[in-house]
Amino acid sequence: MADPKQIYRFLLKLYPARFREEYEAPLERQFRDEYGEARSPWARGLFWLRALADLGTSIPAEFARELRQDLAYAPRVYGRRPLVTVLAFIALALAIGVTTGVFSVVNALLIRSLPFHDPERLVEAKGNRMAGLMGRAEFYNWRDGSRYWHDVAAYNSLEMNLSGAAGAGRVHVAETSANFFAMLGTEPDLGRAFTADEDAPGMAGVAVIGYGLWQQMFGGDPRVLGAAVRLNGTPLTVVGVAPPGFDYPAKTAIWTPTVFDFDRLPKSGAIFGQTIGRLKPGLTLAQANAIFAAEVIRTDPAGYKRDSLSRPRLTSLRDQLAGPVRQASLVLFGVVVFVLFIACANVAQLLLSRVTERRQEMAVRAALGASRARLVQQLITESAVLTTAAAGAGLAVAYWAARLASSVQPAQLTTQEYSILDGRVLGFALAVALITGVAFGVLPAWLMGRTQPAIDAIRTQSGNPASGASRTRAVLIAMQAAFTLVLVAGSITMGRSFLRLMGTDLGFHTQNVATLTVSLSGTREGADNQERQFYQEALLRLRAVPGVESAGAADYLPLISQPLMLLRPKLDSGPEVRSVPVTATPDYFRSLGIDIVAGRDFTDADRPASEPVAIVNEEFARLAGNGARLIGRKMTAPFVGGKFLTIVGIVRTTRFMPATAGYAQFYLPTAQQPPAFATFVARVRGNPERYLAVCRDAVQQVDRQVAIYSVMTLRQRLREALAKPRFYTTAIVFFAGFAMLLALIGIYGVASYSISARTHEIGVRMAVGASPGRLRFALLRQSMLPMAAGMLAGVGAASALGRFLEYLMSGVEPVGALTCGAAALVLAMAAGVAVWTATARVLRVDPMRALRTE
Amino acid sequence: MTKASQSKIEAFLPLSPTIFHMLLALGEGERHGYALKREILQRTAGRLNLGSGALYGSINKMLEQGLIEESDERPDAHLDDERRRYYRITPLGKRVAQAEAVRMRQLVRLAEDRLGLPQIA
Repeated sequence: MADPKQIYRFLLKLYPARFREEYEAPLERQFRDEYGEARSPWARGLFWLRALADLGTSIPAEFARELRQDLAYAPRVYGRRPLVTVLAFIALALAIGVTTGVFSVVNALLIRSLPFHDPERLVEAKGNRMAGLMGRAEFYNWRDGSRYWHDVAAYNSLEMNLSGAAGAGRVHVAETSANFFAMLGTEPDLGRAFTADEDAPGMAGVAVIGYGLWQQMFGGDPRVLGAAVRLNGTPLTVVGVAPPGFDYPAKTAIWTPTVFDFDRLPKSGAIFGQTIGRLKPGLTLAQANAIFAAEVIRTDPAGYKRDSLSRPRLTSLRDQLAGPVRQASLVLFGVVVFVLFIACANVAQLLLSRVTERRQEMAVRAALGASRARLVQQLITESAVLTTAAAGAGLAVAYWAARLASSVQPAQLTTQEYSILDGRVLGFALAVALITGVAFGVLPAWLMGRTQPAIDAIRTQSGNPASGASRTRAVLIAMQAAFTLVLVAGSITMGRSFLRLMGTDLGFHTQNVATLTVSLSGTREGADNQERQFYQEALLRLRAVPGVESAGAADYLPLISQPLMLLRPKLDSGPEVRSVPVTATPDYFRSLGIDIVAGRDFTDADRPASEPVAIVNEEFARLAGNGARLIGRKMTAPFVGGKFLTIVGIVRTTRFMPATAGYAQFYLPTAQQPPAFATFVARVRGNPERYLAVCRDAVQQVDRQVAIYSVMTLRQRLREALAKPRFYTTAIVFFAGFAMLLALIGIYGVASYSISARTHEIGVRMAVGASPGRLRFALLRQSMLPMAAGMLAGVGAASALGRFLEYLMSGVEPVGALTCGAAALVLAMAAGVAVWTATARVLRVDPMRALRTE
Repeated sequence: MTKASQSKIEAFLPLSPTIFHMLLALGEGERHGYALKREILQRTAGRLNLGSGALYGSINKMLEQGLIEESDERPDAHLDDERRRYYRITPLGKRVAQAEAVRMRQLVRLAEDRLGLPQIA
């Protein structure tokens, strides 16, 4: 058994440093005496209990007391250098805040539990032939015969027109299989979910509505059960209300068990069936994927040979939901951690210069009996005070960052909203603060230890340039230079790519255009094939609005929707051309400023009964290989039922999104091929925002029942399309600028410190004839050496970062040598200016006075 | 006694029983830590048994507050080994202890008036 006295001595180490120093000996001695007095094992046990209880209360009490003293001392220490302290505080607050803000996104998407029962076993089957296309019986047979599904549900997610007593609107709808809620393990808040046979064709139409919709449309009235709602004109009976916050998939407000009954609810646009299931217990995702792959190979060998991206596979629901935000937020997280490092390096510099300045004070205190542990404790407390206060201020920054992130890249589920009021996020902020506080408290303290024996420090003020402190400074500068170079190179790349994106010729004008979208699915017009009349009437009314110069409509408009369908129309003699079909009305091209390079626009003479015509774009003509000679040629397309279309015009190619290339397209006249939905565009005189309401009213007058949505100017649509790249570019450029500022403050501080520390040496050199200019050059060279080393390391890291920037903005060019060179040049020049400015003091050094400072 | 020093003394009151007992013990003469503990234990009939941590914690606090100070004088080396530290009460400590006693006396009088106290056997 261990010696009790040794155990007690070990326990005494838990006391704070100063107390231990003072009282360790008497405590130990007293323990020995009293322990010796207790003779029986019983008495000794009791004595131990008492001793432990005594330690348990007095150790925290002594800690609290010494902490109070150090805390009271810290502000006085910082008060001596207010400017540097404020800079370090701001740097830390911003860095900790932004890191915490981005962490709140990572936390919401990747860490926080999903609002489903046992969410880790939920997976989505992707690229699966079986899910969307099979019928109900086949689907359930597939489930029941499967070795990996515990249960599986199918759904389509789409937008529909909702009409009820309160009017018409657009809502997100999920058409699901009957077991959707049961599979997720979610119980409706009110009423019931679907019964097992409610997804069979021919059953009465039922719906579960979202909690928000219930509150909004029915005022939270429980009599909603049994009420009727209409989706695209089809009446459905409400049987349940989903729990608050439940809006899976994709912010759904209404669920209907109609996924196997395609025609039950009229719909338009492309529909993708999706499959989500729960794995059997004990099965890992990898195992399930192996079984799934084997099954796909057996049932659909052709489907499996595709590239690894589109190959059928199971992915965890969490990854699926985090989607593109996942990579983006991880990249951003990496970037802000870089900034945090740089800020920390600055704080370390600050504390370091304080240590060297306070070396005398510390040495005197050490000489007076303060132990190293005691000084370490004080330094750690001081830096922890700074970082914790910065973290407190950082929470405000974090709140703002999380808000910003959710406006740019909102989470897919309400329950995944980014919030900093989360134990994990707050814990993260506190942990970052404490770790940086302790780390940067320890670093100077460690250096302090190396300066002992302290007698030199008491005698002289000047630091030895070859000391540990100056080496550490050099390392810190190199580290800052490396991180900053990475960020600056990244920001140059992002900035250039973004400017290129902004300057992209979209092929149409975005000024002075108001837009609004309608869907005729389930309306009177849709039911009676009256779409053509609706569009005609609406255009007439739009054109009659004073100030509207021209108006047109198309189903797939640039900036609004990605074209989902690629067809292969065939020219009468010539190749098939992979191209996107779009329907458009007369004046559509004129309203968007799309040049007609050959032939003519659609006209009112293009009627259902007249010759079927088409207009193609230049990309189409290029692929077809015969340019303007296409006019008058015939083509067939599967879309239009084998009719021959005569090409009557060629227009300029437009890009659907700034970052995508221009697709080959062919346009069909709305009158001959009326779509179920369309976006109207009106070119107006003056500010288009002023026309939005009146344009909306004009179209609404045609039919009150038709839902009109996305009423906005084309400029707003462009701004939305560019919001993400703009946000990420701004973020990276901001962080790079911030990092650079911090790095410059750091290097300036080091340079100016090294001058003040070497005033004597400089004075001597000047006294023996060195010119100030040469001295400044020497100092410059000395400061730039660690910079150069750091930048060299940064070049490697920058090209690695370049690969990840692709996640933030598609089409980002890689970080090349030229970019790195430019970043290094910028950084080196800025650093050079900083050092040069800092060394201006050399000019004012009076050799005689410098010599007298000794 | 000036007003300022009076209010400085008042700021210490009421004293914790531990500190009062320690001041009382030191009022008689210099003591080392362990002796203080033994004396208090005896005087309170075993009710106030200070652990070493609590004892030296109080000593530390009282040193900081200037109620006691470390004594340089040691008994003869053969009577005690030099590692022991001796403490003595300061003039401030004495005045604080007196003020505490006065405070207690006033309380005792009040209790006598209001409640009547039995004679101590």
